[in-house]
Order: sequence, then C-alpha cells, then structure tokens
Amino acid sequence: MPETASQLNLGALDRQVAYSGEGISVRSLEENISAERDTQNGKVDELKILRERNVAIQTALADEVGKLRKFSDYLDGSATQGGIWAGFKELVSYIPGFRNIAMSKRSIEELLKQQYQISSRRVKEAAEYVDTLGRSEQDLYKEIDRINGKILEMAKNESTAVDFVLELKALVDAIESEKQTAEAGSIAFRDLEAKQDKARALLAQHSANLQLYAAAEERYVSLKDNTRKLVETIRNLRQDISQYTTAASIKLDMASAQIQAIGTAADAAVVMLELKRSLDVMTESMNATTQFVSDTQVFFRRNLDTLIHELETFDQTTTQVLDANIAESRRIEDERIAAAIDKARKHKQHAGGGAATPA
Amino acid sequence: MSEVAALQTQALREPQVTTYLGALGRALAAGRTNKAFPDRKPLEATLHALGREMHLGLYDEIYVDSRSGMPNLASFTRVLSDRTVGLESLSRLGTQAELDARREEAEVFARMGRKRRYFEALQTLELAPVDHHRVLLRRHDPGQSRASFRVELTKLLADGCYVRVVIELWQRASMWAHELVRLDAAGEVAEGTEALRGTVYRFASYDAETLFVRLHELEGVTVERVQRGMIGPVLWSIPGENTLHRVATPGGSVIARAWSEALPELAAAPAQLVVMFSSDIAAIDVRDEVSNDPLSPLLGSQLRDAEQARYRILRERHPFKVYKDRKFVATDASKPVIERVCAAAGTKNLVYRLV
Repeated sequence: MPETASQLNLGALDRQVAYSGEGISVRSLEENISAERDTQNGKVDELKILRERNVAIQTALADEVGKLRKFSDYLDGSATQGGIWAGFKELVSYIPGFRNIAMSKRSIEELLKQQYQISSRRVKEAAEYVDTLGRSEQDLYKEIDRINGKILEMAKNESTAVDFVLELKALVDAIESEKQTAEAGSIAFRDLEAKQDKARALLAQHSANLQLYAAAEERYVSLKDNTRKLVETIRNLRQDISQYTTAASIKLDMASAQIQAIGTAADAAVVMLELKRSLDVMTESMNATTQFVSDTQVFFRRNLDTLIHELETFDQTTTQVLDANIAESRRIEDERIAAAIDKARKHKQHAGGGAATPA
Repeated sequence: MSEVAALQTQALREPQVTTYLGALGRALAAGRTNKAFPDRKPLEATLHALGREMHLGLYDEIYVDSRSGMPNLASFTRVLSDRTVGLESLSRLGTQAELDARREEAEVFARMGRKRRYFEALQTLELAPVDHHRVLLRRHDPGQSRASFRVELTKLLADGCYVRVVIELWQRASMWAHELVRLDAAGEVAEGTEALRGTVYRFASYDAETLFVRLHELEGVTVERVQRGMIGPVLWSIPGENTLHRVATPGGSVIARAWSEALPELAAAPAQLVVMFSSDIAAIDVRDEVSNDPLSPLLGSQLRDAEQARYRILRERHPFKVYKDRKFVATDASKPVIERVCAAAGTKNLVYRLV
C-alpha cells in the first residue's frame, strides 16, 4: 500500500466497534419494542376483561339491591304493588276454615338467606380482582426493570456511537485536507480517496446506528413512562377494591347474625324490625360494592382509554421514526451508488479520451 | 373469652380455631348419627374447609354462634361461596408451578399459590348446605288419586343449630285439596310446591308434634311421620394464654346452667366439648309416647290443667304418638356434668366419650 501522510490516524478504519447487546437494526428494534408492547397490551387486555366483568357485576348488583329494597319497602308498608288480590288473601287468612286458600308461600327467612348467599358470592367475585391486579402490578414492575436495563444499554451504545462517528467525521475531513496537497489522479490521491470512501461508509453505518440507538433510548423511555402509568392505575384500583370489598364483607358478616335472629323473634313487630335491619345492612353492603363498581368504571374510563390511545400514538411515533430512518438509509445508499456511477462514468470518459495511467 | 363480634356472633382465632374444629369434627363421628340427622360427611367437610390446614392462612378467624356454639351462617356461607367463586378463579390464577416459582418475588404470588391449593381442594368436597329441600315419591296410587311422599329439609336454624326435618305424608288430589307436592307428567318425579316449602321451612324450628298437627289439618293431606334430628347446641371451652375461651351465651337450659356452674373446674382442664344430638318424632307407628330428652319433656306434661282438656281433644283428632330422645358426645371432664343432669331428669341417655 502506498504511503500516506503520517498525521492521519487511520486506526478507526480497521477498528471493530463493540456495541453491547445484540446488534441493532431497524427490524430488531421494531421487534424488541413490539415484544415490550405485547406485555403492556396483555395487561391492558386484562383490565379490559375486568371492565367487562365489572359491567356484569354492576348489572347483577343493581338487580339484587333492587330486590332488597323491595323487601324493605314491603316492611315499611310503602309497597302495595300486590294489589287487591294480595290484600284479599291476607285478609282471608284470618278467617277460620279459609286458611288453606290463603296459605302464604315462600318463607322470608329462606329468601333472605338465599339473598345473603348471593351477596356473599358477589363480594367474593369482586375481591378476586385484588389478587389479579396485584399480580399484574408485580409483572409490570419486572417489565420496568427490564426496560431500564434496555435504556442503559442503548445510552451506552449511543455514547460509543457518538465517539466513533465524531472520530470518523474528523478523519474524513482530515483526509479531505490531505487530498488538497496531493496531485489529482496520482496514486497517493487515489489511495486517499479510497480511504475516505471507507471512512465515509463507516460513517454512514455508524451514523445510522447512532440514530437507531438514540431513537431506541427515547422509545424505551416513553415505554417505561407508559408502563409506570399502567402500574399506578392498577395499584390505585387494587387498593380501592380492597377497601370496598373488606367493608362489604364486614357488613355481610353482621347481616348473617340478624338474618338468623329473625326466626326466633316471637313478636311480629320485633321480627319486622330485625328483618328491616338486616335488609338495610345487606343493602348497605351491596351499595358499597355497587359504589366501588361504579367508581372503578370511572377509573377505567379515565385511564384505560387514555392509555390505549397513548400506546397507539406511541406506536405511530415509533413507526414514523423507523420509517424516517429507513428512508435516510436508502437515501445515503442511493447517494453512494450515484456517486459510484458518476465516478465510473468519469473514469471511462477519461480512459477513452487520454492515455491510460499505469496502476 | 373469644370476642363477641356482632349480634350472637363470636369470632374465634388461632390456635382456638384448630382446637375447636378438630374437637367438633371428632364429636360428629363419635355421635354415630343416622339418616334422621343432617348428613355427617358434608358437615365434617365444612368443618375441615374452615380450618387452617385447608385455607393455608387465607383467613384469620371463623364466626361461631354465641348461643349454639356451632359455626354460624357466615362460616357456612364462606366455604360455599369460596367453592363457587374458586371454580371460576382457577382458570385465571395460573398454574401451581408458576405461582410457586414466583413465591419469593412478592407476597401476592405466595397468597395466590395458597389460594389455588385451597380452591382446588374445595372442588373435591361436598359441603354442608345452609338449606336443602328435597321431595321424594314413595308410592303413587293413581286409582285412588293419591300418592305418598317423603319431604326432607336440612336447615341451619335461627338459633344456630343444624336440623334435618323428615316428613312422610299422603296427598289426595281434589279440587278442594291444597296441593303440597306436584308430580311430573310421567308421575315419577315429585316437586314440592312453594306452599309446602314455606310451611316446612317456617315450622322447622318447632317440634315434630306442632308440625304434624299443622300439616295434618290441611285438606287432602294425611301425615304419617314427622321426624326431626338436630345437631347442637355445642358447649365448648378452650383454655387460652390468660383467658378461658368458651361459648358466650349458652342459654338457660338446665344443661347450660350446669355447664356454666362447672366452668371454674373445667377451666383447669384441657379443651372441653359437649355436643348434643336430639331427635324428636311424631308418627303413627310410635308405640309409646315417651320423652327421653332431659331438655324437652312431653308437651302434655307441661300444660296447666286448664289447657289439658283442649290438648286432649286436639290429640284425639290426630293418630300420632311422640318420642323424644337426646344423646351426647362429651369430653372426660364434662361427662359427669351431663350424667348428673340426665339422672336428675330421670332420663337414660347415651353419652359417648370424645377422645
């Protein structure tokens, strides 16, 4: 190889730059981000399922609270929906000999116990959310750890790429200056040109890497922010549900004793009073659970839809950046090819027009 | 003493829960109950499901009726709800291996691992129902438009005891008769009407004699037998660190009073338990009308003279006799208390030993 000026530091041309982790490319970055997003989507899907079950529980709870209120109104004397026939049957029951016809039907104690068991199941169904959300929270904390690892890796690689790109740029400029001192078309000139091309090729490659690592770092940071928001939403939801269901459980436990007390009360007024009390307690507990269901609907409305929208926006931004990177890569490639073609044509022209220069 | 948490409700915590449930489970087996009583196995399964060995620490306490000393409605319902809700949850919880592998990661995974085991174990158990109503066809006589049925109700009573009521009756179909049981079109499957359910349910806490009379007076109905088998009340005491945990309000029966008087001696002994199994039959095939129950003499012997005549007329209308009995399962230190009460009442009752 012909000698070149000694002030040029050409070590960069042969150096193997080591980036940590797997090599980056547009495709690999896209795949990594997509994998992280799949985890987030999974958690968002879980919340969506909970939202649907929430709606189902809310409908059932509204039904059952309605039934309890009806019982309560009946005891208040404010329910006269039975109509004339119901009232007549009640009257007839006091007439000796007609007792059979007016024999009343279901036991209120039995109905209350059934209602109690249904209420207990509903509260437990709601309480199951707590552990489901707790697990999602832990899974997402792990994701945040992983993403932080990735961010660190990208930042380090970006820093390595920056140093190398600057070094290569300085070399390209230095070679350019050196070319001014060499005779155009001479062997030294050609050698300098070859080295400059190599440096430019490396510069293009590592500039692309720099852009990708910078973009990847930004995208991972954004992903982490979204994951943090999701974790916070889930944590708040879990804490609120836990509070509600604990309160509802305690009220139900109180109601159980009152329901059992109904049967032993001999005096009708006492029975009705105890019955009313237990209905009120059960209604209160169901109201508490309905309240949590309603409030979690607000949570879902405020946070879930926003999250989904932000995640979709994030996806769009990522795609745009990646597309821009791809376009830039292609443009550089095209320029290089055009420059190479241009050079080839000029060389042919030269060769056709003048004597051939020995190699 | 275990705290009274709400109306007629005591909260029992470890280690008293394990002692209480273990003793009660063993007493059920020792009681040698037959089909006249609520099924023993589901009740034993419920007691087992309430225990720490089963739920692995998911619950801190159980609720016990402060009068009857039995697990109350909240406790019965807890395991029933857990089994129903658990069946659905099992599909969402993840595998046991996954949860165990993440146990150290966070408390929620350890808890979910325990929950999974608990829910899976519950699916294998038949638990005691709070209420269970069943009607069986015994004989169908279409020629005479009548059929014989057996009605069974298992119920957790309002006083906290657990009872099975069995009624055998004939029903004749007619325009004026009150329909208690319906047969399907094939005449093979019987179903109780709401009227029957309501009546039997409401009167389940009354004695067999009252229920017999109540049903027998219905047009078209002939009752042959009414039988009640009741588990409870339970008298229990478990010494704690600085206190004696015991049933809070055992009531004013002669046995409860004798038990309360003996408590200072029992406090020095290990955990004590008395479980009562009472049976009460009003049937046309009972030979002699006798009460061998120290807590429930025959109604006729308790009435004032003014009421005796009316009662005799009522009884002459109905062809049944009454037989009452009560047996006990008791720990060693409690046995003499029971035997003294029975001797004083002039009854000869079985007192099985609880080991």
